[in-house]
Amino acid sequence: MLSPLDIALYGIIVSAISFLIIYFMTPYLIKYLNKKGRVVVDYHKPGKPNVPRPAGPVLLIGIVMSEILLYFLILDAKIISVLLTTIVAFIVGYIDDMKTMPGWFKPAALILAAVPIIIIGSHGNYLGLIFDNAFIPILYILLILSIIPIVGNTINSIDVFNGVATGFIIITMIPLLVSVTVFGNTNVLLIGLPLLFGSIALYQYHKFPSKIFLGDSGTLLLGSMYASLSIVGNSEIIGLIALLPAVMNSFLFLSSVKKIVEHREVKTRPVTIRNDFRLVASKDKSAPATLVRLILAKGPLSEQEIIVRIFILAIFSSILAFISIAIQYSFMVGKISL
Amino acid sequence: MRLFGLFMLIFVMWIMILMVSYFLIFIIGPLHINVFYNSTDRLISSIIKASLAIGLVIVLILLLGTLKTKYLQKTLKRN
Repeated sequence: MLSPLDIALYGIIVSAISFLIIYFMTPYLIKYLNKKGRVVVDYHKPGKPNVPRPAGPVLLIGIVMSEILLYFLILDAKIISVLLTTIVAFIVGYIDDMKTMPGWFKPAALILAAVPIIIIGSHGNYLGLIFDNAFIPILYILLILSIIPIVGNTINSIDVFNGVATGFIIITMIPLLVSVTVFGNTNVLLIGLPLLFGSIALYQYHKFPSKIFLGDSGTLLLGSMYASLSIVGNSEIIGLIALLPAVMNSFLFLSSVKKIVEHREVKTRPVTIRNDFRLVASKDKSAPATLVRLILAKGPLSEQEIIVRIFILAIFSSILAFISIAIQYSFMVGKISL
Repeated sequence: MRLFGLFMLIFVMWIMILMVSYFLIFIIGPLHINVFYNSTDRLISSIIKASLAIGLVIVLILLLGTLKTKYLQKTLKRN
């Protein structure tokens, strides 16, 4: 058991390493990607500028370095399982960044990313269901195999505007880290800090107007690491509640398109861009129902206005996650009983 | 307020998650079925409980699907 002083010290060290590596390495990656011509068009801006992609590699380096150091400090196998899950998810995303893969590839390949958690045995046998824990040893394995692909693709599908994926992870990591500290242990809090501070560093370049895009390697890394933290920290439902706007987005998309497809394969666009670069919701009934289309249902908005609204929704769902933590904690200590 | 409808939609989703959690813990969890009055009953009970839990989650997903379709159609029509 670590003392509060050790937790604070190790927390500061791993957070600083992740933040500094990503903050100082990203400009070099931007230069490199520009030089190699690995850029994509940002269609939402006047002049349609080219933006380098992906930022996944720099995010991975920052997180891996800080997690390896943390492993030597606290020797917890949970670090290895979270790290392996993150690396596999990154590789899956990087393959998709390099070569356009069919829609089924990412969810199917991300099942592999869940395997290290199961093999190393970093998961519990109990699922925290707010009012109590449910003992579901076999069902829980199936749940892990589905949580990683779902959350990975959920973060991937919300990354439609500048800074949304990193900003969204920063906001929703706060209730998750509180939850893993309360219901998991402080080691998981330490494992999660490099993701939070790495995202904060990368947000400086990813925010509007983006200097770099995350790519699938970045978004799948963020989503899969978030999911693995919620699993090893006994906070799956709290994580789900914090992610509700993003979950709603991928769920809306799936339920309206009725199959797993890449966004670029969708024939009817959910939103269109006007000449003044404001976005407007499609009135076409066959267009996918996405979160952005729901936000635009009441009238056109600029890209920045949409980003702010997505963050407001993330703050709202994070507040609900905090209320859920309070309820779960009250039941756990016996302050409330039904 | 422009986001009020979406706040309500997320709030309803949250309430539904709490309701499903409640059902899983207090209704499905304590369920025990005696058929053969031996150890097989535990396995049968577990299979039934798992099926009910999965069924409940599917109902939740279908309800959320209906909810979002109604919300989107209503909002698009109104504007």
